[in-house]
Amino acid sequence: MSKFIKLIAISFLAVVFLAACGGGTDGDTDTDTGTDGDTTQEQIGEGDIELVFWEFGNTGYDVLIEEYVAENPHVSINLQNSDMNDLHDNLFTSISAGSGAPDITMIEEAQIERFKTAPQAFENLYDYGASDVEGDFLDWVWNNGRSAEGDFQFGLPTDIGPTVMFYRTDVFEEAGFDSSPEAVSDLVATWDDFEEVGRQIKDSTGKLMTDAGELVYNARRDQATQQYFNPDGDLIMDEHNQIRDAFDYVAGLFEQDLVGDIPLWTPEWFGGMGDGTYATMLAPAWMQGVIKDNEPEEGVWSITTMPEGAGNWGGSYLAIPSETEHAEEAYAFIQWLTAPEQQLKAFEGYGLFPSTPAVYDMPEFLEYEDDYFGGIATAQVFSEAAQAVETVYKGRNFYPVDDEVKEALDNLSAGADPESEWEAALDRINRILERQ
Amino acid sequence: METTTKARGLSEKKKTALSAYLFISPFFILFAIFGLFPMVFSFYLSFFRWDGLSPMTYIGVRNFELIFTDPVFFSSILNTFIIGLMGTLPQIFIGILLAFALNSTLIRYRNTFRTFVFLPYITSIVAVAIIFGVVFNNQPFGFANYILSTFDIGPIRWNAEYWPVKFAIATMVFWRWVGYNTIIFLAGMQSIPKELYEAAKIDGATVGQQIRLITLPMLKPIVMFVVFTATIGSFQLFTEPLIFLGRGLREEGITMVAYLWRDAFVYNSFGTASAAAIVLFFIIIAITAINLLITNRLGRSKKIG
Repeated sequence: MSKFIKLIAISFLAVVFLAACGGGTDGDTDTDTGTDGDTTQEQIGEGDIELVFWEFGNTGYDVLIEEYVAENPHVSINLQNSDMNDLHDNLFTSISAGSGAPDITMIEEAQIERFKTAPQAFENLYDYGASDVEGDFLDWVWNNGRSAEGDFQFGLPTDIGPTVMFYRTDVFEEAGFDSSPEAVSDLVATWDDFEEVGRQIKDSTGKLMTDAGELVYNARRDQATQQYFNPDGDLIMDEHNQIRDAFDYVAGLFEQDLVGDIPLWTPEWFGGMGDGTYATMLAPAWMQGVIKDNEPEEGVWSITTMPEGAGNWGGSYLAIPSETEHAEEAYAFIQWLTAPEQQLKAFEGYGLFPSTPAVYDMPEFLEYEDDYFGGIATAQVFSEAAQAVETVYKGRNFYPVDDEVKEALDNLSAGADPESEWEAALDRINRILERQ
Repeated sequence: METTTKARGLSEKKKTALSAYLFISPFFILFAIFGLFPMVFSFYLSFFRWDGLSPMTYIGVRNFELIFTDPVFFSSILNTFIIGLMGTLPQIFIGILLAFALNSTLIRYRNTFRTFVFLPYITSIVAVAIIFGVVFNNQPFGFANYILSTFDIGPIRWNAEYWPVKFAIATMVFWRWVGYNTIIFLAGMQSIPKELYEAAKIDGATVGQQIRLITLPMLKPIVMFVVFTATIGSFQLFTEPLIFLGRGLREEGITMVAYLWRDAFVYNSFGTASAAAIVLFFIIIAITAINLLITNRLGRSKKIG
């Protein structure tokens, strides 16, 4: 028995000793960074009300949170950062199981659709006064975070990914065009222009107009006022012609070899950015970093508006799972974090593009220029795009359906017949929907 | 404290039994939670419609109707068999030859070669799939297409055409597992007495004759083991097609496990995924039974011979 007691005593001492070593407290904020697998967590603040906050990516929210807990000492925030897919898988599992969800979670724009089928698992932000801030956000971003009926707000928007046309000035000049953003914007004002300019670039330089069918299709899809589903959840993609037009347009580009078969995120796609294999890329604001990594030379790529409008790719929402015991405090925090002042800081620090149009008029934002893109006020180009995005109903099966269309597009690049590919895609889509 | 007094009250025999059960209980408890329960639950789930978030609704055999009317489901079964055969049969032949070479006294630096041949097995499967994604690239400058172009064969779309997809995935499986099986064969060969080879050499047997008449017959149980594990392995083929084809998992290359994974975690249709899992369960049982039957027969003929 005495051996047993000794063992306990030693273990106890060891724990106390280790804890003493770890507890370096510095003034009012105690920052304790621990790592659990690929998840890093950081405890910020010393308040009694602890809010667990799941985030992904590189948001720089820790700096903002320190500001918040300094003003609100009764709150402390446990910020846990993990991989984007892991976060959504974990959230799905914990909601499905009914335990383990955090107080606040970030949900990616593409993923929020499937969580909308579980309103019982989230707090309706309208109950906490979300209607007061509704007007601060862009309509389409707000509506994407809301139920089809419009009475349940799942999340407050953080950042967005408005799409524009990135283009290579050298290729446009080689083809004999004026390569200033204004001139290119006028030159490629419509999708017919896009096709025509593509032909001229191909004739005079032998280069592709754009990388792959996917981004052209996305651009045209995002400009459609009706997409795959109506708010009742019925598949309508074959009943109106906007999606079919987008599909046929890409098929036409493939037939004329104006668009490449260079899948996104492949080595040849990254390489093409530096080599100028393709003249344009229809991509969101956050693609700037990818381009800069692959083409070190300044002034080669520039930015202008996309033909006939804009679209959105990416961005996130902050939601409050119902499991929380501190919904009021959680809401107060996310409302603060998504307010225009904080969104401006997130933009300046980490390039998160704001979802609140008030930021677009702030002087710091207007003056934001980028030498890399020829010294133009890039933030303004993106903010124009952000305001041109259409509100459209997506529906919970949006992404599975979209994947099947992308598969059809992939087959088109190999020379398949558009009509039969469209039918085959519809067939696959119907089989997916039967399961729901 | 109460338990200890109780335990004291037990007879010595019961105490031994109790401690024995306690020692083996971790496995059974873990198995019950992570093995048995999910298995039973997926039988139950296969009769329900469930998206993981909303309540479940009982729909009878509708899930089975859905998968049996889905041509992709049958493609996934066929793909699993084709890729399994393409990936494992060559492994057995090449594995035996490699093992024979590594076992022979003619080769220098044998340990180095043994290590090298085993290396692919310990590589991260994701890294393998990414590297092979570059080798089997659709573009004309992809490694495989470049080699083919020297024979005047046009670029192949490796991740979209019927046979090329299967060939690419099977190559990945082959590359990763051939070393593992070589080592198993090698272990088997080392248990074959050297005297047999020496006697054969004295009698003037060639290397081919040695392989055919000594190595192969003596290696029969090892071959059985490799066929067994390779069969099970090929039914579980998942990561390679997923990473090579992406989440869309085209019909040309989807395997059974990938099919049910996609139903569950991409389409959030846990009912049909469970139904597919149950069909897979019965297919594996059937194949295992056939495997056992053949093994038994071979085992018997050996005794008679």
